[in-house]
Amino acid sequence: MSIVPVAGFTPDATLLAAAQKEGTLNIIAIPTDWCGYGPMITAFAGATGLKINSITPDAGSGDELTAITSNKTNAGPQAPDVIDVGYSFGAQAVSQGLLQPYKVATWSTIDPKTVDPNGYWYGDYYGVLSFAVNTSVIKDVPTDWKDLLKPEYAHSVALAGDPTASNQAIQSVEASALGNGGTLDNAQAGLDFFKQLQQAGNFVPTVGGQGTLASGETPILITWNYLAQGYADKLAGNPAIKVVIPATGKFGGIYVQGISAYAPHPNAAKLWEEYLYSDAGQLGWLAGYCYPTRYADLVSRSVIPQALSAKLPDVSGAVFASAAQLAAAKTLITGNWKSEVGVSVATAAP
Amino acid sequence: MTAPAQTLIQGAPKARPGRRRWATLLGLVPFFLAAFLFMLLPMAFLVAGSFQDVNGNLTTQNYADLSQNFIVDAYITSIRVSLATAVAGGVFGFLLAYAVILGGLPHFLRTALMTFSGVASNFAGIPLALAFIFTLGHVGFLTLFLRDTLGIDIWAHGFNLYSEIGLDFTYMYFQFPLMVLIMAPAIDGLRQDWREASANLGATSGQYWRHIALPILTPTLLGTMILLFGNSFGAQATAYALTAGQVNLVTLVISDQMSGDVLHNVGLGYALAVGMVAIMAVAITLYTILQRRSERWLR
Repeated sequence: MSIVPVAGFTPDATLLAAAQKEGTLNIIAIPTDWCGYGPMITAFAGATGLKINSITPDAGSGDELTAITSNKTNAGPQAPDVIDVGYSFGAQAVSQGLLQPYKVATWSTIDPKTVDPNGYWYGDYYGVLSFAVNTSVIKDVPTDWKDLLKPEYAHSVALAGDPTASNQAIQSVEASALGNGGTLDNAQAGLDFFKQLQQAGNFVPTVGGQGTLASGETPILITWNYLAQGYADKLAGNPAIKVVIPATGKFGGIYVQGISAYAPHPNAAKLWEEYLYSDAGQLGWLAGYCYPTRYADLVSRSVIPQALSAKLPDVSGAVFASAAQLAAAKTLITGNWKSEVGVSVATAAP
Repeated sequence: MTAPAQTLIQGAPKARPGRRRWATLLGLVPFFLAAFLFMLLPMAFLVAGSFQDVNGNLTTQNYADLSQNFIVDAYITSIRVSLATAVAGGVFGFLLAYAVILGGLPHFLRTALMTFSGVASNFAGIPLALAFIFTLGHVGFLTLFLRDTLGIDIWAHGFNLYSEIGLDFTYMYFQFPLMVLIMAPAIDGLRQDWREASANLGATSGQYWRHIALPILTPTLLGTMILLFGNSFGAQATAYALTAGQVNLVTLVISDQMSGDVLHNVGLGYALAVGMVAIMAVAITLYTILQRRSERWLR
């Protein structure tokens, strides 16, 4: 297999040789249209000659931990080498002994607030929650959380998942708390907001996605900015999608990388991490509209192409919840969602 | 001369000689192997896993957790949805099957219905949920057609796709075709001469149904309804995609535990699954009791 070098990624020769001896990398839960991963995988495979085995691209963070646990003694293609999980899953994976520590060459330039000091897990990218708005249905585009309660948005607003199961949905509820007078320490304001949304008849209690956004069933979809911008690109104006970052309540969500303690191909895993945290990898995520955790370093060295910068949304002032705040909000929202906002049998929502 | 005399004797044929029995048993091995690997072994893992906590230690806390309000509510809702779609799907499917087979309709309708049922009975999950959203949602094409062309706004009249009733409706899409497919051979077995004979003896249509047709069909009817119950009980993807987990079903609680991004107590998921197995066992026992009563006269 011919090697196609990638600008911005110079693999360490010893590590490359060891990884090539292993020959394969098992990744899990990585959709190709998430954060620009598709082109990144191709570039990495071309630059190293490794074969990439993508396990269950649509799985969730919980599935990734289960995959490591179930394959502890199995070195076959179902055992993931690396994981990319929601922020609170990093600590959980460590407590279950599922990760091995590794610090990439560019470790010192990663935003220190996003990493585990012992190197077991490290923040990779983040986005902020946004409104993906189908402008052929919604003429007056909302600019903030409070706007969503307006009567003109009847039957319009949806989440991208179930708040008792989906990271994205639960953080959407947390984010709405910020726009409704709440704080990161108390997500109750978020539950209250969605209750108001439900009672106003504006909330569509289904899982929103590209299809329902485009068909007009859920013309205002609360989702990560990178997914929203991805939908806008894919739909290419049919219909036109506007991505709105709310004026108050900019809520950032970080995902973290980790290498499995039982990885069948540990050197390939380390090489993958080196790639992701090289300039090439970081720019790859940026091309997918995700802010990488070495963003400040990239900016200071002026390596970001102007064309790319222009497409990025303004996320200044975005807040990030700590692990403790995320855990508390998770417990509150998953415990009370169905009883406070859930659809009951007797009353049909208007 | 006993040999010719034996051939004249009516009765049970000679039992298979011993050496042939092994060949028969060998033929059954694939089935038993499949049943063991795909039913018994997973069940054993389920039960074993339900006694473990997040860190792998033995505990009965998972079963104690089953008494939580929202879990009991989940079981009740799941049973309610499954019963509703099993009975409604069963009755509707049976009537449809009867209509095309014995209702004097053109034969092509029967072929069309069977083909459609073959496809529809397997059409479930996210595509089904999306299909219903795009058809009967707020801006679904049927909703808009009814509203703009016929002036009937179903949503304004209280219809809500994103509710338990909406879910029942969506489940019906794969329930009644399954009923049609399974009842068709049974209805074929209702011979025309029985109908004629009962008419000759002075029975009304109602009496024919009450004393002849239904008793013959009841075992199959009941059995298929239990099948429909189980089919609906185990559905997960459709409910998730359509209602985003708003309707509290056991399968959704399990999937939350096993693969959601947020909750993650696998042992509880296993315990919930064992609970589902227990409920299905009760359902099948009920069916067996009812079936024996209805089959009594057949023996």
